[in-house]
Amino acid sequence: MSTAVLGASRRPRAAVGPLAGTMAGFLVCVRFILHRNWLRLVVWAAVLAVMIPIVYDSQQAAFPTQAARDAYANVANTPAIAAMTGLPYAAGSLGGILVIKIWMTLAVALGFASIFLVTRNGRADEEAGRTELLRGSALGRHAFGMANYVVVDSLSIVTGLLISLLALAAGLPTAGSWVLGGSIAGVGLAFVGISAVCGQLSSTSRGANSLGVAVLAVFYLVRAVADVNAPDTNVTDLSWLSPIGWGQNMRPFAQDTWWPFLALAALAAAGCAVAMRIETHRDLGMGLLPERRGPGRATALLASPAGLAMRLQRTTLISWLVGAAVAGMFFGSVATAMTTVLDPSNAYAKAFLGGSQDMLNGILATFVLFNAMLAAAFAVQSLSGARTEEAAGRLEPQLAGSLGRTRWLGAHIAVAAVGSAVMLLLGGWLTGASSNGAASGAALAGASFAYWPAVLLLMGLLLFMHGFLPRLSVSLTWAVYGISVVVAMFGPLLSLSEEAIRKTPFGAVPRMPAADFSLAPLVVLTLIALVLGGLGIWRFRNRDLTQE
Amino acid sequence: MSVQTPAILVTDLHKRFGRTTALAGLNLRVDPGTVAGFLGPNGSGKSTTIRILLGLLTSDGGSASLLGGDPWRDAVELHRRIAYVPGDVSLWPNLTGGQAIDILSRLRGGVDTAKRDALLERFELDPTKKARSYSKGNRQKVALVAGLASDAELLILDEPTSGLDPLMEQVFTDCIQEVKAEGRSVLLSSHIFAEVEKLCDTVTIIREGRTVESGRLDALRHLHRTTVSMLLGRDASVLAGVPGINDLAADGAHASFTVGEEELGSVLAAVSAFSPRQLVSTPPSLEDLFLRHYGGALPGSTADPGSGVNGTSGVAAGTDAAPAQSAGAR
Repeated sequence: MSTAVLGASRRPRAAVGPLAGTMAGFLVCVRFILHRNWLRLVVWAAVLAVMIPIVYDSQQAAFPTQAARDAYANVANTPAIAAMTGLPYAAGSLGGILVIKIWMTLAVALGFASIFLVTRNGRADEEAGRTELLRGSALGRHAFGMANYVVVDSLSIVTGLLISLLALAAGLPTAGSWVLGGSIAGVGLAFVGISAVCGQLSSTSRGANSLGVAVLAVFYLVRAVADVNAPDTNVTDLSWLSPIGWGQNMRPFAQDTWWPFLALAALAAAGCAVAMRIETHRDLGMGLLPERRGPGRATALLASPAGLAMRLQRTTLISWLVGAAVAGMFFGSVATAMTTVLDPSNAYAKAFLGGSQDMLNGILATFVLFNAMLAAAFAVQSLSGARTEEAAGRLEPQLAGSLGRTRWLGAHIAVAAVGSAVMLLLGGWLTGASSNGAASGAALAGASFAYWPAVLLLMGLLLFMHGFLPRLSVSLTWAVYGISVVVAMFGPLLSLSEEAIRKTPFGAVPRMPAADFSLAPLVVLTLIALVLGGLGIWRFRNRDLTQE
Repeated sequence: MSVQTPAILVTDLHKRFGRTTALAGLNLRVDPGTVAGFLGPNGSGKSTTIRILLGLLTSDGGSASLLGGDPWRDAVELHRRIAYVPGDVSLWPNLTGGQAIDILSRLRGGVDTAKRDALLERFELDPTKKARSYSKGNRQKVALVAGLASDAELLILDEPTSGLDPLMEQVFTDCIQEVKAEGRSVLLSSHIFAEVEKLCDTVTIIREGRTVESGRLDALRHLHRTTVSMLLGRDASVLAGVPGINDLAADGAHASFTVGEEELGSVLAAVSAFSPRQLVSTPPSLEDLFLRHYGGALPGSTADPGSGVNGTSGVAAGTDAAPAQSAGAR
């Protein structure tokens, strides 16, 4: 396929200066990358952009009058809002409310899209040896990398344009609508530059993705700390240390500042330039971070199925546990700030949100839910390692030894199940323990652990798919996970009924501490998980192994 | 005849993947203590057969037995007594080669450290490097060391030398000869005729999922024609009239033709009348046997050696089949 596309090699058109010659075949590469990624690109752009009219309509329904919006503006600036979605600087207008509700989600999602796509076409291809095949043909050294950056950049630009156009179509102010799209696109562009560098540093696609996501997490936390500590809704110096902060500080529907967009674009260009500079000076297939040697022997533990499963998941396990711990402490500290702000004598807070204790519990329940989503994502990622082993052909030689299929799969299930339980307890406990008395560690650990059946349900689903539809199992399970997360987080925003939300994995679990504990849904979730998982394991024992 | 259980006995094996037929009546037998060659081009069903023997795939018909047991039902028990080396080895990228060898060995029962270290030395493999930095040849060595370090009764090797350089191929040949000397059995799927001719007692050639030729290598040779090339003192086209000469190609005084074993005497007597200056006779190589089955349409059910497929198309097939052999695994 690739050779057919590359067969139509052309002269480079716009190659100038020191890059001349290294860009030969650039346009062919662009076409090739579009050919391989067009569906992903379309889905990312469409899903992100369509959030604008959906959220706009729901907010218009929630705040139909200027009086309602003004009342909201008085109570909108809570530490939770500031920390999670940024400073609500224009909460009295529909545009401003739209920014509060969806800007951060879209910007971060576009950042993720940039990281994953750049890695997919860059480091992942190089790791698989496909880049070598391409470079062997009449192709300049930077042509493919540059084409990759340009295509993923264009995703940000197109998504931004769609967002702006949809905002204009909704009747929002013209200047603000353009700045809205521009600010989100700018964050996406910045992460193209960041992940371009990550793809040069690490020699594996996994490493490149982890590095990119870690950088994104750090920048998110930097701006969260900045926004929590901001006086009123004024921009702080600290927020300028994060490219996400630059995007926020463009302030659509208020100041409508354009120059941070130039900074974001400059960061993108600088990142790509640095990446190409590294690419010139390194060998194909290598990263800047050194490859270390390891032991020449395996320990008895590593050579056991459970030990091997644990070793293969070690990096995943440790990084998710650290993530859950950091998130827990972050949530706890936000809750602390809440207790000081939510003065029961605040008339607006009372009128608008009910008693402060209810609101605090609501926020804590949301934090617990976030923690559960992290744990579930870990469980799905960890368990899909089993499918990876099979697909990559590493399971065959193991089963050619005297290892039964159930025992092998059992080891992977155990790592995912136990790991997610520890994550739930740790994240919940740390949220409570660092909340300065807003809730006890034990109470939130319990509230968090109540989500274990939901995690098991997703694991059961993955096992079921792994048995019956192995090739699609991982992507289908992630799709179900994604839908469950969206419904649990945005269900009310999407005007779904409480009843419908309760029929999804996360929605089914009682939202403690805001709601009371009830056993029945947890039992139901566990039973479904066991049935799905049991069927999946039975099928796996009786089916052919499939490689990719 | 001995009453020993065959190490591998496959009868009329069938396997389909969706609409694709992978195996359509495959027969294979490996007797204890023998080395059996398993030949066929890419996609002919060698790896599928091996995967069924390893209990990784189910069969759709026919029977397969491994060391007297059922390869699917008794997989875990049987695998303690066999060693498997795949042709395309994928390893855990973040573990070292040494760790992978130990993991694979331990799964079969245990690690013979002395043997392992000796093999590492012979194959010149550094066990402390991460698998992601290994070349294809080095990944292959990891699987070979893990397989050969075992004391398995039966070794199943699926194109084990693809990716090895000629020196390492020689090391591999030595290792298999040692295994044979110890009275253990080997199933060797391979593309390298020289390797199979050197090592194997019996050969099974398959095509499109069925066995077209199988037996002892020396017996198979007898069934096929010898190639003779001659230089005569006159125009060679006169040979066309000699009974028993097939596939004649005459070019001036030069001629080459094939002749069946039983006609060789009468043909030699006849050609001696045409004042021969030189005569070279070549017995059929394994490559000839192999290519003969890939000359044209699949003949009926099994091959009819000595007639049917003619030599000219056999030679033509050589240009088709040769790239397929070198195209690598699967």
